Parts: sequence; C-alpha cells; structure tokens
Amino acid sequence: MSRTDWLLFLHITGAFLLVGGSVAAATFTILARRRERPSQIAEFLRLVRVALPLIYGGVLLTLVFGLWLVHDTGYSYGDAWIVAALVLWVAGNALGGIGGSREEKTRELAERLAAADDVATPELGARLRDPVSLALNFGSGLAVLAVLALMIWKPS
Amino acid sequence: MTPAVFQHGRGDLALFLHVLGATTLFGAVVVLVTLAIAARRSADPQPTARVLFRVWLFAVLPAFILLRVAAEWILSLEKKDIPGLDNKGWVGVGFLVTDVGFLVLLALGVSAFFASRRDGHGRATTITAVLGSIYLAALVAAWFAMSAKPGM
Repeated sequence: MSRTDWLLFLHITGAFLLVGGSVAAATFTILARRRERPSQIAEFLRLVRVALPLIYGGVLLTLVFGLWLVHDTGYSYGDAWIVAALVLWVAGNALGGIGGSREEKTRELAERLAAADDVATPELGARLRDPVSLALNFGSGLAVLAVLALMIWKPS
Repeated sequence: MTPAVFQHGRGDLALFLHVLGATTLFGAVVVLVTLAIAARRSADPQPTARVLFRVWLFAVLPAFILLRVAAEWILSLEKKDIPGLDNKGWVGVGFLVTDVGFLVLLALGVSAFFASRRDGHGRATTITAVLGSIYLAALVAAWFAMSAKPGM
C-alpha cells in the first residue's frame, strides 16, 4: 500500500467517525426529546457523551489527513471545493459546538429535576423543543453532509 | 476522497449514497450497542431497552439498504469499464460484510426485538451488544478494504 492509500484510509476513517458520531448524537437527542420523565431525558442525553470522542476524533482525522492528502495528491489548497469544504467544516463544528452546549444545559436541568421529584417543568419542555438548538444541530448536520458531497463531486 | 478506481462524474451520486449509507450504518450500530450496554448496566433497563428494536428498524436497516443498493449501482456502472472488478479482493470484502453480514444484521434485529419486548431483561440485550460489536468490527474491516484497497 502506498502512502496515499494510507492517507485516504485515515481520512475516510475520520469521515466515518465524524458522520457516525453525529448520527449517534442526533439519535440520542431525538430519543431524549420523546421522553417525559426528567430521569429518562437525562439518561438519553448522557449517552450523547459516548458519541463525542467519535466526533472529536473524526474532526481531527478529516482535517489533518485531508490537508495532507491535498498536498500528497497534487491538488491546490486554493481549489474552490477545498476552500468551500474547509469553510463548511469550520461552520459545522461551530454550529455543532454551540448546539451541543445548549443540549448539555438541558441535560443538567433534567438531572436536577430527576434528583428532586422527577417531574418535568415547562422550562425543560421548552428547552427540549427549543427551535434554536434544533436549527443549530440540523445546520451542523447539513454542513457535514455538504462537506461529504464536496469530497465526492469535487466541483471545480 | 473518491476512490481512484471510479471515473469521476459517472458514479458520484451512487458513491455519495454508498458512503452516506455506510457512515450512517456505523453510527446507527454504535447507538444500538450503546443502548444495549446502557440497558445491561442500568438498574432500570426498560427506557433504553424499549427503543432497541425501533433503532434497528428505523436507523440500522434503512442505512444498510442504502449502502447495499448504492454499492450495486456503483458496480453496475463501473464493471463494464473495469473487467473483473467484482472479483477484486477489496470488493469481495465489501460483499462479505454486506451479504454474510446481513445475516448478522438480521440476528441483531431479532435480538433487539426480544430485548425490547422483555424490557432489557434476559439474554437478548447482551446478545444485541455482542452482535452489534462484532458487526462494528466487520464494518471497520470493510471500510479499510474499500478505502485503502490493499493489493489492488
């Protein structure tokens, strides 16, 4: 196997971790939103933490080995599709990071309510239906999908 | 990221759907295994175990179908131009993981069904965690073969 083969494998591994981790985090969040008791909501939101190492690993591997591949395969760092992918990569991470921190506050509230009388409050309900969090997480997912599309189509 | 064997432009949509299916399948199986392990460790396994079969039905299975159908689409587009493509080792690994692996995936669905019905009590939850972990390892082997194409 050549160096490029290894770089491609590690780059694609990053894509698997990033997309797979994002799918896992989104699924746990959706499952949490469908619960009513704060203890169960907190339990599903806690599971999002399992996906975080996958997402962080994927973010790192896609960037490092993606940039290395650009150098190794003779593409230019100034190619439009590479610039667009980098911009979307940053935007996706920023949106996901902000959305994730909002979900973390929801989990903390659910944990507090679970430790008290395990009854949902209007505040918890509002947090679970928060359109801003939904938009941030959905936007982050769309950015990741767009990067994946750019990697495959490579529009000039 | 486009594997060198594919002609750029022709099978791009098929390749996009194939990669999307594969990465989503990986994430969905991670969810299944995590839920099964969480149910095993919990004093109240019912909430996490209850959703196991739904995750298999609405996430794992559709992702697998997308992966497999897109793989066939790619093969039908490319094998006219690349003789013996379907006999290459790295393609064979992909078929092994999707065809033989489909049996594992079906077994995973059956175990997830019983784990959900029994609210996480009994062996079905453990079997779901074990089968899911085995399938994850097979997926890693497949993405190594499909991306690095050793011995191509």
